[in-house]
Amino acid sequence: MKFLNNYSNRELNIWAELILNILVSLFFVSKVFTSNQFGGEVLVQIISTTIILAIVYSIVVFGAINALTKREEKDERDYIYELKSYRISYYLSHGGILGIICLIVFNALYQENIGLLTPPKIAMILLIIALLSSTGKSLTQLFNYRKNI
Amino acid sequence: MTQAELAEKASVTRQTIIALEAQKYSPSLELAFRIAKVFDVPLEEAFQYN
Repeated sequence: MKFLNNYSNRELNIWAELILNILVSLFFVSKVFTSNQFGGEVLVQIISTTIILAIVYSIVVFGAINALTKREEKDERDYIYELKSYRISYYLSHGGILGIICLIVFNALYQENIGLLTPPKIAMILLIIALLSSTGKSLTQLFNYRKNI
Repeated sequence: MTQAELAEKASVTRQTIIALEAQKYSPSLELAFRIAKVFDVPLEEAFQYN
């Protein structure tokens, strides 16, 4: 319990979000690559399982954090760090989308060299970009909070 | 006055007070005035520019 006193409710929630992102990335990517399925029913099953596990994790972990620590209203410092993290998240997501556009253009030009870029593959890349962007956001927030303590 | 009490009176989190004490965070003018008001002292007495 003493460990919890060193972290605010908000920081613990960010840690939980970061761990969730890492777990989802590891679970999803490992399942997709071990089954070697980039489309069809197997992919739908993997996505469904990932979503269900993420919901269960959220209910248990976020519920426990909010039950054990006092919920605090956001103050000006929280808003500043949130804005800083959104900027990083914005750069990551836009960089990723730009990367996908380049990939699609190169794929159309040199299809034989880099293989067919199917819609499920694009969806998977988008999902990975979203996870990366969210992880970047959480890491920036945690860095700012810890830097100033 | 404890950090928690000051935080509550100034309507910020305890972590913000810790950061302010450690001179790791510069408050907004509004927060600076609120903290000075809690201690009932002028702004320049509560905060100094280094």
